[in-house]
Amino acid sequence: MKPYVARQLVQLVVVIIGISMLAFAILHVIGDPVLLLLPQNAGKEEYARYHKLLGLDQPVYVQYWRFASRAIQGDFGKSWYTDTPAFRLVLQRMAPTIYLTLAGLVMALLIALPLGILAALRRHSFVDNLCTMIAVAGQAMPIFWLGIMLIIVFAVRLKALPASGYGTWQHFLMPAFTLGAFLAPLTMRLVRSGVIEIMNMEYIKTARAKGLSERIVVIKHAFRNACIPVITVLGLQFGQLLGGAIVTETVFAWPGVATLAVESIRNQDFPVVQCAVVLLALIIVSVNFIVDMIVGLIDPRIRVGA
Amino acid sequence: MAVSAGGEVTLKGAGALSPEPTAGQVSLRRLWRLKWGLAAAALLLLIVASAVLAPWLAPYNPLTVDIQHRLAPAVWMDGGTPKHLLGTDQVGRDLLSRVIYGGRVSLAVGVAAVLISATIGVLTGLAAGYFGPRVDWLIMTLVNVMLSFPFVLLALAVIAVLGPSLVNMIIVLGIADWPLYVRVIRAETMSIRERDFVVAGRALGMSHARIIFRQIFPNLVSVIVVIATLQVARVIILESFLSFLGLGVQPPTPAWGNMLGEGRVYMLNSWWIAAFPGLAIFVTTLAINLMGNALRDWLDPHMKL
Amino acid sequence: MGRAAALAIAVLLALALAAPAGLQAQTKDDTVVYALQSDINTWDPPNSVLREAIILGYNVFDHLAARDTKTGTVGPSLALSWKALKDTTWEVKLRKGVKFHDGSPFSARDVKASFDRVLDPEKKMVARGNHSKIKSVEVVDESTVHFQTDGPYPLFAERLTALVMQSEKQIKEKGHEWMQEHPVGTGPYKFVKWDKKQEHLLVRNDEYWGAKPAFKHVRVRIIPETATQIAELISGGVDIIKAVPPDQMDVINKSGQAHTGTSPILRTAILQLDQAGRGGPNPFTDRRVRQAVNLAVDADAVIKHVLNGLGDRVATAINPMAFGFDPSVKPYKQDTARAKKLLAEAGYPNGIDFRFRTGLEVVEPAVLQTDDALAADMVKAGFRPQLNYIGDQTVYTAQVKEGKAGPMFNWSWGYYSIFDADAILFDVFKCGESWSYYCNKDLDELIISGRSTLDPKKRTEIYAKAQRLLFEDAAYVFKWGLRGVWGISNRVNYEAPRDEIDRMWLVTPRKK
Repeated sequence: MKPYVARQLVQLVVVIIGISMLAFAILHVIGDPVLLLLPQNAGKEEYARYHKLLGLDQPVYVQYWRFASRAIQGDFGKSWYTDTPAFRLVLQRMAPTIYLTLAGLVMALLIALPLGILAALRRHSFVDNLCTMIAVAGQAMPIFWLGIMLIIVFAVRLKALPASGYGTWQHFLMPAFTLGAFLAPLTMRLVRSGVIEIMNMEYIKTARAKGLSERIVVIKHAFRNACIPVITVLGLQFGQLLGGAIVTETVFAWPGVATLAVESIRNQDFPVVQCAVVLLALIIVSVNFIVDMIVGLIDPRIRVGA
Repeated sequence: MAVSAGGEVTLKGAGALSPEPTAGQVSLRRLWRLKWGLAAAALLLLIVASAVLAPWLAPYNPLTVDIQHRLAPAVWMDGGTPKHLLGTDQVGRDLLSRVIYGGRVSLAVGVAAVLISATIGVLTGLAAGYFGPRVDWLIMTLVNVMLSFPFVLLALAVIAVLGPSLVNMIIVLGIADWPLYVRVIRAETMSIRERDFVVAGRALGMSHARIIFRQIFPNLVSVIVVIATLQVARVIILESFLSFLGLGVQPPTPAWGNMLGEGRVYMLNSWWIAAFPGLAIFVTTLAINLMGNALRDWLDPHMKL
Repeated sequence: MGRAAALAIAVLLALALAAPAGLQAQTKDDTVVYALQSDINTWDPPNSVLREAIILGYNVFDHLAARDTKTGTVGPSLALSWKALKDTTWEVKLRKGVKFHDGSPFSARDVKASFDRVLDPEKKMVARGNHSKIKSVEVVDESTVHFQTDGPYPLFAERLTALVMQSEKQIKEKGHEWMQEHPVGTGPYKFVKWDKKQEHLLVRNDEYWGAKPAFKHVRVRIIPETATQIAELISGGVDIIKAVPPDQMDVINKSGQAHTGTSPILRTAILQLDQAGRGGPNPFTDRRVRQAVNLAVDADAVIKHVLNGLGDRVATAINPMAFGFDPSVKPYKQDTARAKKLLAEAGYPNGIDFRFRTGLEVVEPAVLQTDDALAADMVKAGFRPQLNYIGDQTVYTAQVKEGKAGPMFNWSWGYYSIFDADAILFDVFKCGESWSYYCNKDLDELIISGRSTLDPKKRTEIYAKAQRLLFEDAAYVFKWGLRGVWGISNRVNYEAPRDEIDRMWLVTPRKK
């Protein structure tokens, strides 16, 4: 187990470094921070002064080193828009995004698990085809469309749920459902194929031969082992989930990191964008790492390296 | 039933119960199973045709403004007119024409971005699978970095700096999705690499390039086709995300995504402005997904995608 | 394993649902909820260009003078009276017994401190330009202040409504940084907290010297999307929204939950043309081309069909409500043939291609639709505008200030809520000003003389001349004065304000 963990850790660190480089590169190489910082028609000397002040006259790797060494301490600079430390701003908004993502995950599981198992059990039947159709249709639906429709139906027409914002559990329902619906189709298909695979395995046949009822067989063994591909993919989908969260947050005016990032990009407030991107990526990478650990624990084949 | 000397039981003559199906019958049966896929492919053909033939098919110029007749509903609704089958938008442009022309953008972006993605992804996957553990590790780490980077943020940041346009969007979408191919291509390459004919080729002194492109690549075509097809659907939806956020094709050029964005404010009264482009996205991606699934089932039912 | 998974899911669910506890402290009945499309960047009003900062500032701070919302005239607020002792000296008498939210008393020293701070060139405060005519402020006694102005300053009284009075104690003891996030004023509401980019909370100042607000709490929610704001209004989540697009008015009015209120507002929309050549040589430096554009567009039709009549056509950029407006100058009427002729005369028989920048629906709702319609009109006369849309306020404004927005871009001007022609002429038309893309020596002379005399009759004449000049020279493409549309919940009473300042203390609950 140890060498596996070590390998994964090394990869984690390398990936994080890679991400920070990517974030740095995009903002410093493609854009010109000085032009964006300075007000009005500042003269050439102002420009040169700021250039020096921001350390832009240094070679790129020196700049990157300064950025990285400060970033590790949590100093991503101050927001150009409100003058507060970028790190603090992003952290404040992290909690709602995490909660939304988790809630979305839960919703996705609530939809995908029963449907996937059902489809697998009744393979090739009408139910199976229906579930597959729903999954394919779900993948085709633009989620912001779904979100808007939900608001119109539940908030405007039925007045059952709040149209936007954050505060009570009612505020969670529609955004979580939207996000869950985004993930559910793929998850459902994975559950289904995972369960099908398990069903054909020897020990299931043995359990069946032993005379255990179908239900017990399914629930105990199949479910448990179908978890592996599901966990793996959900973990990997975490990155996708955050992408879906961005649009969901925009539609529902959710006070999360995604809306902060979008607004900061529009304001060209780059320290905040950089900080948000790096922190989000960090979370994704950590989740991937944890998922890899869990899967490695469960399935020794993966540890050894197929 | 016959019992052989070794104690094995065979069902002799059981084959006489039902004759072996002919090759033709097998293909037909497979085709029938894929009926949804075929229907989807036909629909897709229709959509592509309408996009290509847009200048002849669309009743109006999609950019013609006519403020006297703005916000007209579709022909079957109260206040609709047969002059505008799907109604008009907020400055009086014909919605049907805009939806038809919008298909051009979505499909063009889809195909172009996928071509870029596939090229990068396949080449990298081949390299990772073929050239041994060091190269593999390097590439897989890069892939992990890309996968960990929230794509939409990447797209937003790049486009915010470079400016929104069709070309920038194609580039961003092309670059963002290539990791999709790498994992699968890599795995397949690794397994094919160990096969006899490849080993033989190496022994004979064939160059790497020849081996990769003559021996390994042809076996990957079906996988690539399936992934690419499914990716087109993804890209179309992603393009509509970006246009919806205002970062894609700019109005007044019609694109399904920006039409959805413009129509969003009108969802409560003139809902058709957003509904029809939304429906177009939905139907197109549905068709592509169904066709892609059918393709996968047909080419190789055991593919784990 | 299954049990572990179930437990994990249960924990996740619990976490997710338990998360946002305790964010609802106020009840619905004593809170009025107001929506903004974007958050302010500072609670220090003189340090911000954003209208939202000015609006929120009105609720927490007071000014020396205030506009009466019914009559529109400027009347006393923290100042009881003012008079010109000489051409360049004004005496202002202050109200007694006013306290800041921290308990300290308001006096002449706070007036001096507030003005000194803004006028100080070192501090580079945003509002400095507005008050630069004031040379110095002297404390005569606890409730009397003298202002020395740089030459005659006819806008003195109007501009008294434009600077909030801040506490000298806060300025000296707490400093600039602290003041960006902790406003301490004398106003009808006190600042409670600010969740950046999410919401603000205010609570009633029970020791307010003026009319006490009806609602105890104010909740300002930041909701960026118009569609979401309307959905919230109709479903009861928000009480007041502003900048409602005219197309959505029927949705609100038919909902049974809310209604719309409209008012002509000072804000006037124009298409600025780069006559001064700030962005380099361009066709609009030629008067004939400018006139051709004005003749090409049918602004009246756009107001009628796109804005549903909610706009007041103007001949120049001077709003009908501003002092100095001359109704005898009639706006251009559409004449496509003549436009084509003029264009050919100017040397462009085949028309011209150019960039037409637009955006900022936050400030001018329906601007995209109106500009689309105007562009289509231009095409008929041989122009070929390429619409270039920029959604972000900060970016757009920065480009305009830096001279990069031309050769044609949509712009609107709120006059800083000063109902006077000078408030737009100086900033938007005077040669060399950062918002101006027009350069005309004759106009500059008129502008200077207009603000150098205190005689209202003289000023009216001067501004009439200025409007003639602007019209004949077709300085820009003149659109219309905007009508503001507010969405108001049926559970409150609120009048649409003509100066675009939403005064939360005037909102009262509607009796059922």
